[in-house]
Amino acid sequence: MSETKILCNTGTIDLSIEDISEEFEKLKTIEDSKLSLNPENADSGLAKLVLTLIELIRKLVEKQAMRRVDGGLLTEEEIERMGETLMKLEDKMEELKKYFNLTDRDLNINLGPLGDLM
Amino acid sequence: MGNLIYAIIFNNYPDKLNSLLSGMKGMSGESLDVVTLDEISAVVSHIERAELIADQTSAMAFAGIIEKLEQHFTLLPMRYGSMLESVDLILKMLEKNYPDFQQNLQKVENQSEFGLKVFCDPEKLKEEMRLKSETADNPSAKSEEGIKKSVYLDYMNKKLKEHRLEEKLLNYIDLVIAEFTGKLTQLHAVSKIKKRSTATILIDAVFLLKKDRKDELVQVVKDSQNQHPELNFTLTGPWPPYNFVDINLK
Repeated sequence: MSETKILCNTGTIDLSIEDISEEFEKLKTIEDSKLSLNPENADSGLAKLVLTLIELIRKLVEKQAMRRVDGGLLTEEEIERMGETLMKLEDKMEELKKYFNLTDRDLNINLGPLGDLM
Repeated sequence: MGNLIYAIIFNNYPDKLNSLLSGMKGMSGESLDVVTLDEISAVVSHIERAELIADQTSAMAFAGIIEKLEQHFTLLPMRYGSMLESVDLILKMLEKNYPDFQQNLQKVENQSEFGLKVFCDPEKLKEEMRLKSETADNPSAKSEEGIKKSVYLDYMNKKLKEHRLEEKLLNYIDLVIAEFTGKLTQLHAVSKIKKRSTATILIDAVFLLKKDRKDELVQVVKDSQNQHPELNFTLTGPWPPYNFVDINLK
């Protein structure tokens, strides 16, 4: 981006034009985050899709659980059981990601104008 | 040979347009021409389809031509690579989409797009919020103390802290957006705002407002910056109205 187009760039965080450009680049990762399915990678492509959906649901469940804990509606035993479930789910997700050679970034599908899934 | 379309414009001043175009070159050095239907024109240049390279340099050069036109005319920018084979096809396209072009051109008349990105150091910001919440006497801190007896409770405690920090951060972003949009109402700006595009970009917004109100917008951004020294406000523009044209070409 041309510097002449920057009308105002202020603040105490030390950001150069290069830093800003780098941040803009991160917004352009649509190609990386598309689901790529073809005969050679049908297994891993499907695994990516399925794990993305599972991860989305897991995060929603986790968020809802935190809201319930924060609301003070659960007993200590219930919180402990919830903790055990969430911890095991997280561990299992890590195992599956490792097995299919996927990272957190791979599981964040870009939905175009709607932005990233997670 | 095809016709690469750069923009659709209101051709109220044909002499001014011809004079501007005579001093400009299109992609691959060809001269720029207009194809006109009543009040609306398409700015085009001749190019071989094979010459149209899909890379950043070419796309930037294409955008540069549109920006130069936008400084003098109200326009609707076309996507890079929009080509039609003949003038007849361009006229047909103008005719089919005439009401939509007219409506969108009226919507963006004498207005430009401005982009605002608000950056933060997310770790520093969260740390400040964590320190603030720890010093504040709130009942939620007490409930955390009660759940530290097993590995699962420790896990929940850690997750709960992360959840609360995230909620605080989102509330903080909402507050900054509300303050900023409140100040913008006096400028009659249309805005589109996204929260947390990346971990570092807290707010990613675009505004459409009258070209002559640019300085007022800069002042609003500076005021917001003074109010939030922990953030970086980067305002760019004026741009063609890339994010405010709503047409599905027929």
